[in-house]
Amino acid sequence: MSIVSTGAKGQTALLMGNDAIARGALEAGVRVVAGYPGTPSSEIIQTLADVASNHGLYVEWSANEKVGLEVAAAGSFAQLRSLAVMKQVGVNVASDFLLHLSEYGTRAGLVLVTCEDPGGLSSTNEGDSRHYAKMMEFPLIEPGNFQEAKDMAAWGFELSEKVHNVVMFRSVTRMSHASGNVVLGEISPGPSKARFQFDGDMMDQMGGPVVTFPGMVDPMHRRQLEKLEMARKIFETSPFNTYTGPNQPDLLVITSSAASLYAREAIDLLHVAERVGLLKLGTTWPLPPKLLAKHLKTSEKTLIIEEGMPFLEDNIKALWTELGPEAGTKQFFGRKDGPLPPTDELNPDLVARALAEILGLPAPTADQAYMGRAAELAKTHAPFRAMTFCPGCPHRASYWLLNSALKQDNRRGFVCGDIGCYTLGVIGCGFNTLKTSHAMGSGTGLASGFGKLNRFGFDQPVMAVCGDSTFFHAAMPALVNAIHNRADMTLVLVDNSGTAMTGFQPHPGSSSDASGGELPSVDIARICEAMGAEVAIADPFEMERAEKTILDLLDKEDGVRVLILRQACALSPGKKGKRLFEMAVDENACLAEECGCNRLCTRIFGCPGLIWDPEAKKTRIDEVICVGCGVCASICPTGAISKKEVAS
Amino acid sequence: MNEDKGNQGQAWIRNQVMAQGLCTGCAACVGLCPYQKFYRDQTAVIHECDRTWGRCSAYCPRGQVDLGGLRTILFEPRDITPELGAVKGLYMTRSTDPEIRDRAQHGGTVSTLVALTLKEGFIHKAVLAERKNNQVSESVAISDPDAVASFAGSKFSVAPTVAKFNEISQGEPSKIGVVATPCQALALARMRAYPQPGDEERMKNLALVIGLFCGWALSFRELRRLIKEKAGADRIQGMDIPPSQHKIMELHTEKGLIEIPMEEVQTCIRESCRYCYDLTCEFSDLSVGSARSPEGWAVDRGWNQVLVRTDKGQALLDLARSRGILEFKAVPPENLDRLKAASLGKKNTCMIQLEEVSGRKEDLIYTRREAILCQ
Ligand SMILES: Cc1cc2nc3c(=O)[nH]c(=O)nc-3n(C[C@@H](O)[C@H](O)[C@H](O)COP(=O)(O)OP(=O)(O)OC[C@H]3O[C@@H](n4cnc5c(N)ncnc54)[C@H](O)[C@@H]3O)c2cc1C
Ligand code: SF4
Ligand code: SF4
Repeated sequence: MSIVSTGAKGQTALLMGNDAIARGALEAGVRVVAGYPGTPSSEIIQTLADVASNHGLYVEWSANEKVGLEVAAAGSFAQLRSLAVMKQVGVNVASDFLLHLSEYGTRAGLVLVTCEDPGGLSSTNEGDSRHYAKMMEFPLIEPGNFQEAKDMAAWGFELSEKVHNVVMFRSVTRMSHASGNVVLGEISPGPSKARFQFDGDMMDQMGGPVVTFPGMVDPMHRRQLEKLEMARKIFETSPFNTYTGPNQPDLLVITSSAASLYAREAIDLLHVAERVGLLKLGTTWPLPPKLLAKHLKTSEKTLIIEEGMPFLEDNIKALWTELGPEAGTKQFFGRKDGPLPPTDELNPDLVARALAEILGLPAPTADQAYMGRAAELAKTHAPFRAMTFCPGCPHRASYWLLNSALKQDNRRGFVCGDIGCYTLGVIGCGFNTLKTSHAMGSGTGLASGFGKLNRFGFDQPVMAVCGDSTFFHAAMPALVNAIHNRADMTLVLVDNSGTAMTGFQPHPGSSSDASGGELPSVDIARICEAMGAEVAIADPFEMERAEKTILDLLDKEDGVRVLILRQACALSPGKKGKRLFEMAVDENACLAEECGCNRLCTRIFGCPGLIWDPEAKKTRIDEVICVGCGVCASICPTGAISKKEVAS
Repeated sequence: MNEDKGNQGQAWIRNQVMAQGLCTGCAACVGLCPYQKFYRDQTAVIHECDRTWGRCSAYCPRGQVDLGGLRTILFEPRDITPELGAVKGLYMTRSTDPEIRDRAQHGGTVSTLVALTLKEGFIHKAVLAERKNNQVSESVAISDPDAVASFAGSKFSVAPTVAKFNEISQGEPSKIGVVATPCQALALARMRAYPQPGDEERMKNLALVIGLFCGWALSFRELRRLIKEKAGADRIQGMDIPPSQHKIMELHTEKGLIEIPMEEVQTCIRESCRYCYDLTCEFSDLSVGSARSPEGWAVDRGWNQVLVRTDKGQALLDLARSRGILEFKAVPPENLDRLKAASLGKKNTCMIQLEEVSGRKEDLIYTRREAILCQ
């Protein structure tokens, strides 16, 4: 059992940011937790799921983020503190409900945690959800260190209850995934009785029906603005907004979130604590105007350092113009006005260089000897890892087949994809089979559109891929659309039995819940059939049969086909560490670089379990990496790769 | 080992053959490695191969072909004519077996000769074409002489003949005979004349090439489009281009016969056939086509014209005559010139087309102008 659950009040624990958030929620007495996995947010729900029974929580992995937020909101409406967790792209999915939710408001505390990924370390974009707080008019808080991650997570529920609205808690990768010391508080048992009141009138927020309704829009909107005003007042004196530095600094730095850690480090590095003032904001929407005015007046130069888009930068400038002449002339620096880069993740080095530039100091130079040694160690200690599918990954086999079938079909057919491990189908390890990739489920929607273009002379076969989790998350409406509108397309469901990319969370097709308990699994094939698609199921590891199935499906002329390529992820709990086959390469049969093979296995197929021995000029099996899936035996043109069943 | 110095492996196939619309679908590059596959009536590159030399481009009839060199190696120089390649004699023949004639495209000469060579043990396996449903052709290797007749008749979409030969020639040693269209025969000729390292042994298996005259083949997809246009959802039971003056294609459907005018059928011709210089299958031991005589189509449709090109071809024809399984009749004296003229016609069209895609007059992608004209 983790310290998140067992750590006593007053104890100092080294916690990862996401665990600190989970602890904060426990200390606040959270009862209902829901969301959808996505890096860097996934650990929060998993940590709480693991201790759910100890603390009497309800925790679920929801089908998508919108449903997750709805499930959490139901908890709030029924008088239970509730938490919804997602990554930045998930907030977009939840946003339709979020608009309605924030218009009406909440009952028991409801915190929406969004963990964002500046620089797109494990995302395909740099989305910044803070704009939702402004656009939809609810409070936004951002912790600036690990202690705050816990404390502010707990405080978020209180704040939500004070203003009767959802509170957005924003973290970023370096806050969620780094660790720091946290002094723990008391875990609160929270209420155990849920009850939904609806007898009051429509404007009775605590006791009436929870509805947004035409005719009520204006009074509700007014009420919402009052809540925001209340938050603004609270934020003026919030202990999470701190200032350190001289009274009249040469430069005022305003920062939030992980960027505040970089700012502190940079100030130390340049030894400019005497010259630079640091205003760290923990409450970033609505901005507290009095607090800001006070500090803005102290310096002619202001540098805004934040992760993501110039959200604070724009809003602080707007606030400054509202202050009028009393605020004096100002020079602003930041991501928009430079010298900070307009995109990508920040780091202490970038921040130090920006500070130096503004203060007219020489740019800090890195210790060359240290850098050299670091590079040396990286070479010897960090093995090179190509961006590719894992050894034994079913996606490699699936793309091998899709590529082969589409090339044979020879009509410039293509595959539309979306987000998941299978996004790698865009590059060489997936034989460049994916030609579009956007949001979850978008491959299916795009295919539905492409599949209707035949009247404009479009004659390329259209396929989409989506994962099993993505199917439930967002592909189902797109598939219904395609079927209803008789689009000519094939959806390939690469079903690897779990939400593999984010750490194997269950989804509605799985037979377990977030905590490992049993749940009925929803049958994808039967859903597709019921929707009206023609459904085929194949195992990508049975290559010959699967390829024939794909070619036959490509031949069908109208309507939607669904092919389920089913084979569990190589890292799935059921498979991990279990070798089905002992693989071997017969050196004499290996044609290697000769005409007739030209290293098909190591040059094209590219499973990391196969290695090219440049001295012997032969292929070898890397016994450590090979997981014994046996697939490469069926792609070797000479049968040099053999597989022997491992006795179980 | 190599008549072309600049063999560039698969890059040639991709850039100079496939991208230019020249790929014949002969499937010579299929079955020797995993990079090309044949599906329906087309050869496709599945993955890129970066070898700068390869058997694919060495055997491809649209590789850099030295037609002159091939002719000198495979034929007697005195037999070579500018219009028809090597010619030892022109004959008119038909099977004496009415049952074969009934199943055959014309006189059943090809089926008769194939059965004979199998029966006599000159070859152990024959590569023939089989019509699959859905207007696609498959290649088969058979060893039973009595089975030959069931594969008679022309298939107008391309069959992967050379891939089938590649497949069986890599197995147990056995004598193989191949019935081939001109592009397929040219690939086989390149293999025979210049077997690439590692292929010397398997090429010893190629014992006989019986060629088919060929004006063009049809593209499966275009044909399917046309049939759908004409027959809708009706099931197709058969398809034929009977030799006659009123050129039509017959489509036998469950609802009856549909006749499609030849001009419409010609919209379905494979693009690559426009770049083919060879009507009479010059690189075969003997080649067989339809007959023409003053007696008119009704009679001619049951006969073949045969061009004998090698001693082996001559011996085979003579044996068939002596066994009484082929019937011969006098060839009208003007026929050789008419055939030459027809052959030249195709060569000229080909050269014009190649000039257009290559933008050159002499170096016509896969060969040179003078080589096409047997100069
Ligand atoms: C696509 C095509 C176009 C032709 N165009 C002309 C033309 O323009 N002028 C002309 O005079 N003759 C042409 N022919 C030849 C045709 O007339 C007859 O195939 C030939 O006369 C032999 O007749 P047969 O009665 O002896 O054949 P059969 O006894 O019926 O035997 C024909 C043999 O050819 C094989 N075969 C059939 N189709 C193919 C194919 N696509 N690829 C490889 N093998 C095949 C069959 O398996 C069979 O063994 C063409 C043939 C084909 C296949
Ligand atoms: S392996 Fe040889 S035959 Fe195959 S594509 Fe490469 S060069 Fe051509
Ligand atoms: S013409 Fe024949 S050998 Fe050349 S690329 Fe096409 S199928 Fe391959």
